[in-house]
Amino acid sequence: MGPLDGLAYGFSIALLPSNLFACFIGVLVGTIVGVLPGIGPVGAMALLLPSTFAMHPATALIMLAGIYYGAMYGGSATSILVNVPGEAGSVVTLLDGYQMTKKGRAGAALTVSAVGSFVAGTVGVVGIMLAASWLADVAIQFGPPEYFAITLGGILLLSRLSGGSILNAFVMVALGLALGTVGMDSISALRRFTFGSVQLAQGIELVPVIMGVYGVAEVLLLAEEGIARTQIASVKLRELLPTREEWRRSAMPIARGSVVGFLTGLVPGPAAVLSTFISYTLEKRVSKTPEKFGTGMIEGVAGPEAANNGATAGAMVPLLSLGIPFSPATAILLGALVVHGLQPGPLMISQRPEVFWGFVASMYIGNLMLLILNLPLVSVFVTVLRLPQHILATLVLLLCLVGAYSLSNSFLDLWVLVIFGVFGYALRKLRVDPSPMVVALVLGPMMEKTLRQALFLTRGSVLDLVARPLSATILILAAAALFGPPLVRLVRGRRLA
Amino acid sequence: MLARAVPLVLLAAAGVYLAFALRLPFGAAARPGAGFYPVIIAVFAVIVALAATASAFRDVPRGEADAAELDGAARRRVVISVVALAAFCLALPWVGYPAAALAFVTVVLRYLGARWTTALLTGVLSAAGSYGLFAVLLDVPLPRGPW
Repeated sequence: MGPLDGLAYGFSIALLPSNLFACFIGVLVGTIVGVLPGIGPVGAMALLLPSTFAMHPATALIMLAGIYYGAMYGGSATSILVNVPGEAGSVVTLLDGYQMTKKGRAGAALTVSAVGSFVAGTVGVVGIMLAASWLADVAIQFGPPEYFAITLGGILLLSRLSGGSILNAFVMVALGLALGTVGMDSISALRRFTFGSVQLAQGIELVPVIMGVYGVAEVLLLAEEGIARTQIASVKLRELLPTREEWRRSAMPIARGSVVGFLTGLVPGPAAVLSTFISYTLEKRVSKTPEKFGTGMIEGVAGPEAANNGATAGAMVPLLSLGIPFSPATAILLGALVVHGLQPGPLMISQRPEVFWGFVASMYIGNLMLLILNLPLVSVFVTVLRLPQHILATLVLLLCLVGAYSLSNSFLDLWVLVIFGVFGYALRKLRVDPSPMVVALVLGPMMEKTLRQALFLTRGSVLDLVARPLSATILILAAAALFGPPLVRLVRGRRLA
Repeated sequence: MLARAVPLVLLAAAGVYLAFALRLPFGAAARPGAGFYPVIIAVFAVIVALAATASAFRDVPRGEADAAELDGAARRRVVISVVALAAFCLALPWVGYPAAALAFVTVVLRYLGARWTTALLTGVLSAAGSYGLFAVLLDVPLPRGPW
């Protein structure tokens, strides 16, 4: 099936009433969690995962992905109006977005960010269509050594890109990989690190870990504040329209942001966040008046807002075509598919076209829904912020508890949630990003399986394993990204000395 | 303190993990056993945890200031929330979901600064609402307790 036939088929799936409804609920919840500081898209996806078990896999994927990209729209509203990022992908937006609000141009900033997100979302979907089917064709030839190289290279790159110290990122990776080995060994069926517990033999579930480090930890940070109220600037409908000059200045940043965002999404790492910083720096560099950035430049809103949406689309490519999630959010999507007995990867596009193409088409529809939801209704969503934070925080905790339990009706999952909640809180206080741990927990078992299969194949020769052209290229690229920048710094430092 | 405690705990955990990994059948490179990969991960974990601990004791940790900045009231709110979470997990099998949820929401809200009436009312509504949603609509077998 070619991309156009596939897309037409996808629309016939995505336009089914149940899928339309799931898409609507997903983008609505996404917008709301995007608006609310504290609970981000990953926590919300994890919370709603159990409710998707009874759905068709395509419907589940459509709803959960809707939360992910919907949050990118919602997050900008809080950044622009309240000077607090609704989620991490909107941190950069507040630099110029809130300054525009102070100048009375909040409406224009909101409109440009919604339209920018829409354009980038649409460009991103075209990118998925072309890149995912191409990559899937290539990936059919991959064997265990290549998959091993991709997972290892992905984890190494992620440690480099997750921000903060690389040592901390490595500690998180080691922890995630170690957690991934708990439970029954998939090859010898031997129980490892279970200490006699039957429940631990199933392994450590990803979702309570994610709910803990992204949901509970955030709420504990909110709990520090106690009762707090937010001041919100109000926006009238007629103020929403940007001037002709503002449109003209936003057009190129949106176009650049869309492409930068999509490409960043392909690379392992916190793509949505990273892409906004790259886009902002790029816009500043090409601008004739870089010194004015931070004072309410619309380019500083248009570029990053397009970029974070482009990145959410780009991140779907490795997930859908290789079955490898490079971020916590896509790890949840993978989890949702696996629960339904689907293994994303090169064969999914041909074997389960209704899931792949239905999902791609639903992203077009979802982005259109978000544009409609976010422009006239932005004031309605922002009133969610008036909800008392302490009530919201407590309810989110309760939802995390019941959500974690309902995954497999296990008390162990509840304890995993609480322990990782406290651990995630400690990490936040130390400014350590937990994402490398989460991704390593997901990729770890895949890495072990492919490594052992590859060693069987090469009769234990590590050289044969890494010397195959594709795996060598991937590993060299990852090593260059990992060790290149410190080496360059070292050499430069020597020269200066 | 936190900045030094976390790497120390992780170092200890890495050591224990290595000890258990070494007891698993290692196999050989051509036929890796169940312990092959865990031993590699354990060695990596011990090395990075050692480096992180050394760096935490050598440098003035950036996070230290943040943790110290928490005033007594804020720290109490966090501790109460964590204790309430743990109490919920312990109590759930015995008292059932509705009672545990009611007590959890009421106590946490009260300690976060809400009035008793608000806390109790929110507790009743959220316990009933979440029970209705998960147990009745989504068929999750939430424990009901002795009543």
